[in-house]
Amino acid sequence: MSRAQGLSRKMSKAQKNEAIWGLAFVMPTMIGLIVLNFYPIFYTIYQSFCRTGDFGRGNVFIGLTNYVNVLTGGEFWGSLLNTVKYAIIEVPFSLVLALLLAVFLNRKIAFRGGYRTIFFLPMVCAPAAVAMVWKFLYNQNFGLLNNLFGTDIAWISDPNVAWISIGIIGVWSIVGYNMILFLSGLQEIPHDYYEAADIDGATGIRQFFYITVPLLSPTTFFILQTRIIGALQIFDLVYMVMDETNQALSSVQSVVYLFYKYAFTNGDRGYGAAIVVSMLVIIMIITFVLQKSEKKWVFYN
Amino acid sequence: MNTRNKILALLLALAMALALAACGGGGDTAAGGDSGSTGGSDTSETGGSTGGSSGDQLEVWIWDNDQLAGLQEIADLWTEQSGVPVKINVVTWDNYWTLLEAGASGGEMADVFWMHVNEAQKYMENGILLDLTPYIEASDSVDLANYYPDAVSLYSYDGKNYGIPKDHDVNVILYNKAVFDQYGFDYPDETWTWETYYEVASGITAASGGSVYGAAMNTTNDQDGWWNIVYAYGGSIISEDKTTSGLDSAETKEAMEFVARLIDDAFAPQALVSENGTGGLFTNGLAAMITQGNYTIRNYTTYDNASDFGVAVMPYHDANGNGQCDDGERVTVYNSLSWSAAANSEHPDEAYSLIEWFTSEEMQIKQAELGVTLAGYIGADDAYAQTISDAGIDASAVQVMNDTATLVSYPFSKYTTNWQNNIRETLVAAWLDTSVMSDKLDEAAAYMNDILATES
Repeated sequence: MSRAQGLSRKMSKAQKNEAIWGLAFVMPTMIGLIVLNFYPIFYTIYQSFCRTGDFGRGNVFIGLTNYVNVLTGGEFWGSLLNTVKYAIIEVPFSLVLALLLAVFLNRKIAFRGGYRTIFFLPMVCAPAAVAMVWKFLYNQNFGLLNNLFGTDIAWISDPNVAWISIGIIGVWSIVGYNMILFLSGLQEIPHDYYEAADIDGATGIRQFFYITVPLLSPTTFFILQTRIIGALQIFDLVYMVMDETNQALSSVQSVVYLFYKYAFTNGDRGYGAAIVVSMLVIIMIITFVLQKSEKKWVFYN
Repeated sequence: MNTRNKILALLLALAMALALAACGGGGDTAAGGDSGSTGGSDTSETGGSTGGSSGDQLEVWIWDNDQLAGLQEIADLWTEQSGVPVKINVVTWDNYWTLLEAGASGGEMADVFWMHVNEAQKYMENGILLDLTPYIEASDSVDLANYYPDAVSLYSYDGKNYGIPKDHDVNVILYNKAVFDQYGFDYPDETWTWETYYEVASGITAASGGSVYGAAMNTTNDQDGWWNIVYAYGGSIISEDKTTSGLDSAETKEAMEFVARLIDDAFAPQALVSENGTGGLFTNGLAAMITQGNYTIRNYTTYDNASDFGVAVMPYHDANGNGQCDDGERVTVYNSLSWSAAANSEHPDEAYSLIEWFTSEEMQIKQAELGVTLAGYIGADDAYAQTISDAGIDASAVQVMNDTATLVSYPFSKYTTNWQNNIRETLVAAWLDTSVMSDKLDEAAAYMNDILATES
């Protein structure tokens, strides 16, 4: 108390003014964050401890019951495994492909702008539309893929295949965005390094592994971290592509899909809230581990 | 200079705050869609303090785009009398309940909207819907005895009425004449039992060597599909007092063993159905028969090969074995939507007035004439089948069903959506491997009983 008073007494009039104006400027963002982000987060955490009533009324505090049900039921762990399987496809493949594309499209080649635009386009399309088009392509009997290759694969109805098919859509959707990030990273690498390497007689491949990859590591780290979080929150692709009577649904449904099913379709908000809060904890742990690993392999000049 | 900067900064901050507020406000009404067809008179009274609701508009929500044009026409006739514009918004079924519940929880809802038996109980118990009882009592034109009694009771709770039936439905068989001709089978008619249906459907599947299927039915075709078989065989989905599931009863299992035979020998495989939908298989000539509610027929008239499509009555189950269809043997599980209003509507009087208009005998007849749906008002829909027939598919079987079939009221409880979705998902395994049918019925019944136990 007295310390705060001491601080305010020490502030000159100009400083005070500045502080007030500073606050005034961040206020809109603060209010937005509080109303749209913080309040819902805390309300969700509160709900996860309740047996929620219809229309948000009559919530009854039941302690950890929802968590016990979520964590002891097989459904959550099954969908977590599905989500991790999806992330294992999406993150590495989209990262490596994007890096290769970025390196090629960083050179002076004809129609460079055109190529960049084409690879970035999926990012601009509505995910629902993307999912619908892929659903047509994947159709076992009438889809383009089976027709083209003369195969008879149940791309989205075979439980052993469907998760890969969904992962492919994910890679396709995100690779352009990752590529743009890599491109910006590439353009920050000073050209001198490559010239020096050329004079020393290093091949293109050696240059790639000994100059490009290490100096891109801040970008790589950023993409890796955001994409892991993004992939673990996958919902729209599963929701749009998989019909509720699809036999492969249980081997593809993600954690957020499970949350949607319980919270919105079945109207059990408390159980749904416990699912997402559990997921939040898992994502926080992964982020923490990643942050710790950062020092080991990320080079900042 | 300094002050000028400050004022500018303040203005900027204000503008940002306003923009944020506008975003929030926009979010609430975003579902309302564009300000479209019914004219801009809603902008004339921005103050709103002067009362006189004549300048405001009623917002109406429905989920079936096929009914929009006809209902808007009927609503416009009401506007001519009341001077209150009506804006009907179509919100697709998948989003309808999420958005309506969000509106109900957040306090801003459409004034007038469709209610469905799956959800009605929950809405009525929580006081979300406008109690229409005093209005109905005060009205000299509305008598609930004129409506289907089951339908009226679906939307009443604790002796009060929260909705007036807008329609009812019957189920029919849609069949593709081209497929029947190709494989040399007679079209379905009133003499068909469910056994005949099995013989023909499995016959077509066998004759085509598996390239065309005699019929297609998903687990989601419950009200318009296998529930009818369950009730025809004397089974049930839920007990009369809504405390226990009927899925594990002997009669229901007997009916589902029959469905299992259909799945094994006649139906299109589950992967094909879930990827393409029964409608997609039917219109492309890959499934000779599907069961449908009458309200979808109109949509099928828009296909290029609509002249191939025929409508037949649902088969009957010859329970007493006398070789003819007796009373109670031809079953259709029927449902009825209601027009309901929001309890917190700013214009409850106008909202009720519109509901009364939609459900009046005259407008129920007009609704049938326009081919929107069958009526909720008993005997007001003789024109419906003819209108659909004029649109390109002979729907006279709808009239036969309406006149002669046994109407079984849609099974429901407070949390219908929850257990219904579970049944649909659980039975997929039985559709894939019919040997587990009985186990899966037990599993779904156990889940349903748990839900029902939480309701009371």
